[in-house]
Amino acid sequence: MSFDPLLVAAYVDGEVDDLTARRIEREAESNAALAAAIARHRALTVQLAAHYAPVAAEPVPDRLRALLADTSIDTSLAERRERRRLRVAPAHMGAIAASLLLGLTIGMRPWAPAADVAERGGMLVASGELAAALDTQLAATQGADPAVRIGLSFQDRRGRICRSFEGAALSGIGCRDANGWSLERTVGGRTASAYRQAGSGSLAADAAAMMAGEPFDAAAERAARARGWE
Amino acid sequence: MRFEEELIELLPRLRRFARGLTHSTADADDLCQAAIERALKSRGQWQDGTRLDSWMYRITRNLWIDERRAAGRRGVHEVIDEGVMQIAGDGAAEVEAGALRGDVDGAMARLPDEQREVVMLVLVEGYAYREAAEILDVPIGTVTSRLARGRDTLMQLLGEAA
Repeated sequence: MSFDPLLVAAYVDGEVDDLTARRIEREAESNAALAAAIARHRALTVQLAAHYAPVAAEPVPDRLRALLADTSIDTSLAERRERRRLRVAPAHMGAIAASLLLGLTIGMRPWAPAADVAERGGMLVASGELAAALDTQLAATQGADPAVRIGLSFQDRRGRICRSFEGAALSGIGCRDANGWSLERTVGGRTASAYRQAGSGSLAADAAAMMAGEPFDAAAERAARARGWE
Repeated sequence: MRFEEELIELLPRLRRFARGLTHSTADADDLCQAAIERALKSRGQWQDGTRLDSWMYRITRNLWIDERRAAGRRGVHEVIDEGVMQIAGDGAAEVEAGALRGDVDGAMARLPDEQREVVMLVLVEGYAYREAAEILDVPIGTVTSRLARGRDTLMQLLGEAA
């Protein structure tokens, strides 16, 4: 069976319905040309997302921020108070600190690729810190602000263990097979995935479509790690 | 949340989008500045409860297109545009595969504006086709065909896997 290139692209972009996605996935298992086309499209998305991610992690220049400071003339004392409160809210400071930290982390490793991805056997697989996070990190104990946040762990219809993840440059779903963690879904990093939620390609929906049974609870996740995700 | 605060939260992503459109840090921040000023001036046109991000992306993109047209009239981009026509037109297949391996900026710079903006919105900013079509004010079919052409050229220029 041959697939329209536009349909393959739409599949990779999360723009096809679940039934079509499953039909394409089944076909890709035995159709090497289709699997390679999917991998090529994913690789491009990853490369672009990784290339531009550091821009969103840079501190915003003061001259742009300054344009948005105190532009409105409000007469309401309550609103002014609320604004003062927001300005010093700890959560707000935390976000600023986190974005600075991220900028620094990326800035300090200019030689390292922005996304931990490699190609193996024509498939995109996790490497470096992303592979380490998928191998070792548990959703229950990963702390408040890990570099790679593990979302759901679950078994897919082919019996593989899959884990969704969110990173600064790249988010997606990795499934454990002979190649390591094959990246079955990839979207841009955290900032892009926030918008994905509103679109048709949310990772949670993708995970739900791939899942056989329920997502792992903390005990099942720990047990799966102890078995080496086999 | 206040209009200005929502805008501040958007700035990191808006700068990324602008960087992709302009492929220059200085031009991107000038573009962001112009977009913010336009947004503050036209804030009456933004309806509370609708998505501020789509509105801001649309303003940014329209300002960039205006700028490119004005520069074209001044003759600034004529030489570059000729190069773009040669590479991104029918001759895309003739470009040596992987000629720009790893040079994402160089490859993006060779796309026509209307393909580059779709590539940025869908592949980098993560918008759904429908959302990108709304931002650009074009039919969804236009988004998919421009995206396909842009992708083909990028894959050709950048070579195989990332």
